[in-house]
Amino acid sequence: MKKANLISIPIKLLLVIALLVGFNWVYTQYFWVDDLKKYDAHVLLDLWSKQDTCDVIYLGESSNFSIHPNDTQRYSISTLIGIESGYRVGSLNKGAYHAGIYIPLIQRIESETVHTVIVTLNLRTLNQATIHAPIETSLQKQARLFKLNPPLLNRVLLTLNAYDDKDVTERDKAMWYEWTYDTLKSQEVEFPAPTIKKWCELPKFVDENGEQDMEKRTLADHYIKAYAFQIDSNENPRMQELDEITRICKEKGYRLIFNFLAENTEYADSLVGEPLVWLMRQNRDILVQYLESRGAEVVDNLEAVPGKHYTDQNWTTEHYDEVGRQIIANRVADVLASGEE
Amino acid sequence: MLFNSVPYLIFLPLVVILYYFLAPKFRWILLLIASYFFYGYWKIEFLGLIALSTLVDFSASNQIGKSIEQWKRKAWLFLSLGTNLGLLFLFKYLKLFLPSKDLMQLSIKAAEYPVLGEMYYALYLVIPVGISFYTFQTLSYTLDVYWRKIEPEKHLGKFALFVCFFPQLVAGPIERFTNLRPQFDKEHRFNYINFKNGLRLILFGFFMKLCIADNLAQTVDAVYANPEQFSRWGIFSGTMLFGFQIYGDFAGYSLIAQGSAMLLGIELMDNFKTPYLSRSINEFWQRWHISLSTWFRDYLYIPLGGNRVKVPRWAFNIFIVFAISGFWHGAEWTFLIWGGIHGLMYLIEFLIKKTGIKFKGQSLVGGILTFLIVSIAWVFFRVDNLAAFSELVNQFKLDQGTQSLMFSKGLILPAALFILFEILLYNNRFDRWVDNKPALLRWGTYAFLLFCLTALGGAVNHPFIYFQF
Repeated sequence: MKKANLISIPIKLLLVIALLVGFNWVYTQYFWVDDLKKYDAHVLLDLWSKQDTCDVIYLGESSNFSIHPNDTQRYSISTLIGIESGYRVGSLNKGAYHAGIYIPLIQRIESETVHTVIVTLNLRTLNQATIHAPIETSLQKQARLFKLNPPLLNRVLLTLNAYDDKDVTERDKAMWYEWTYDTLKSQEVEFPAPTIKKWCELPKFVDENGEQDMEKRTLADHYIKAYAFQIDSNENPRMQELDEITRICKEKGYRLIFNFLAENTEYADSLVGEPLVWLMRQNRDILVQYLESRGAEVVDNLEAVPGKHYTDQNWTTEHYDEVGRQIIANRVADVLASGEE
Repeated sequence: MLFNSVPYLIFLPLVVILYYFLAPKFRWILLLIASYFFYGYWKIEFLGLIALSTLVDFSASNQIGKSIEQWKRKAWLFLSLGTNLGLLFLFKYLKLFLPSKDLMQLSIKAAEYPVLGEMYYALYLVIPVGISFYTFQTLSYTLDVYWRKIEPEKHLGKFALFVCFFPQLVAGPIERFTNLRPQFDKEHRFNYINFKNGLRLILFGFFMKLCIADNLAQTVDAVYANPEQFSRWGIFSGTMLFGFQIYGDFAGYSLIAQGSAMLLGIELMDNFKTPYLSRSINEFWQRWHISLSTWFRDYLYIPLGGNRVKVPRWAFNIFIVFAISGFWHGAEWTFLIWGGIHGLMYLIEFLIKKTGIKFKGQSLVGGILTFLIVSIAWVFFRVDNLAAFSELVNQFKLDQGTQSLMFSKGLILPAALFILFEILLYNNRFDRWVDNKPALLRWGTYAFLLFCLTALGGAVNHPFIYFQF
């Protein structure tokens, strides 16, 4: 190779790097915000608009803003926490967000005033149906744009599909695999079946004619799919994400409170029975112990909201009516206040 | 591994660096390992298919070479053809005969019965990427040996590399043995010009794929997913745009393949030459997916008699070639119809040409008509099946939708650049075109392309369209 060519290669390489640095500036100034809106990642814009005027950042999903049509008081949980505690609470929420998506958001907080981060956490985000949910691709795509990298790099990585972009059938397959082979183990409780799949196959609500009440049965099966699992701290990907959240908050000096949301244990009991509630409590204990051992505070709301205060009576959600939201907010506000000097 | 993925952007430079550090006689080993890794990265189990195809063709071709009796030569040929076409049938066409299953059922079965369920799932849903390409590549080799055009390969490793050379393994260009294989023996020294041209092709290929095809995909997908929401004009425009999407996608892939190979000093054939500037269907097929159309010419059309037969037989040959070419793309009637349309138009064009009619502006009219015919025929390529086609036509007739086409803002700049390049690159290739331009224009072009790539690329999860074939 000619000597001139050999010399020109590093020069050209430097030129390309300089171009990329310049492009990053242009992209950040003129294109990034549009992309955040276009790809549904506007939660970062919310962070920018709120972080300098609040003391507490509340990271939540649909539980924060869902209301019952008959509610007279329509405040979100985060607003109520603000009212009860006196702190200025800025909420960042979007349906189906979970710990993995909160990580880059917490990394992006740059505020003089924020001292506490409240992270909502619901049991269902740790089950296989949610981990392998089809919506995960879309969530990961959104999160790609606000990861803590130069924005242009995130944009390129988005184009190159550098996020968890498995297709629906692959996700379904993984979920069914876990439901088929992940066995439930306990010395204290006898489960009706060793796996979710077998448990769901059992007949339920059979009347004297041998007919099943299909409506109740379907809902019971749904409760089983949502809650019949046992958290494996080493294997469950959410646990690593929660670890990461506690690490980042510690590093940034934020007080971290997990708002562990209430689940409808009353319905779980009446529809499926004690073994399911036992699993919910066991998972709660594992989670609380795990997070507290890492220095986080956990507000345990698992059984705090009575069944009638759930807005979705025919599904498993953490959506509460005004009473439910107030209960959760009070409990979080109490813990928030307990940290005051 | 996909070209438009982070792993490939790490893999390629690593292979190139190692390649030039290794002594030339060992390089084929590196390329073979790299190629198997490239393919296995997607689904390791399907490497077995490539290995099987390689072993069968290697053995069969050598037996054909050794055998004197014609029946023995034929028997080995049939073994090779049977294996390759059998694999193709098993994975691509068998699903036509399997009882239909919904995706959820398939997932459950695959989870419940890890071996049998997974196999069924694979047969039903997964086509081993590139199977149509590498089987055609090996078929051409075996046929060439049978016709005594070439000597059978004696080196199993290098033959295996010919079958699976990673830049062109999964979507072509479908290379001929006589072009590709001898290049594995050459002592490629690092060549700055090759290197530069390779990078140029990769840059332009990525631009076509990520900025044109992937941005258009969002618009086209919206039309084809819910045609009822779009007006007649919207459906028509969506269809026209699909022509550009598939072109950007496939030609982009081919350029990245050529560029990647060029970094290793290996020349692959040109697969596209500004096809939408063709003035006839005949010319279109000399400019579109050239490696496949020449394959069909050499291994189907000419053996059928080519144009050395009477006109009716010749017309039949043409029609058969186009129909099979359509069916090569997938197990749907729509592909057959697509091939049939092209065959029919080819014949009509021939008849018109025979009349000797000539008029002013013929090239322009021919160009517009060709573009329209090709674009409308793409409908059959884009719809999932005939039911989806009739739904699309129905919605086109009803003209009830109100939604207008949604264009990504990021498309405007790349699209303008793309159209300009299509004109500038007529009968040329990007690397050659840019080579003799002043430094400022050259670097301005690179900068523009790089900016489009990094800031304005489409963000749809669309693998290359031709991967499914």
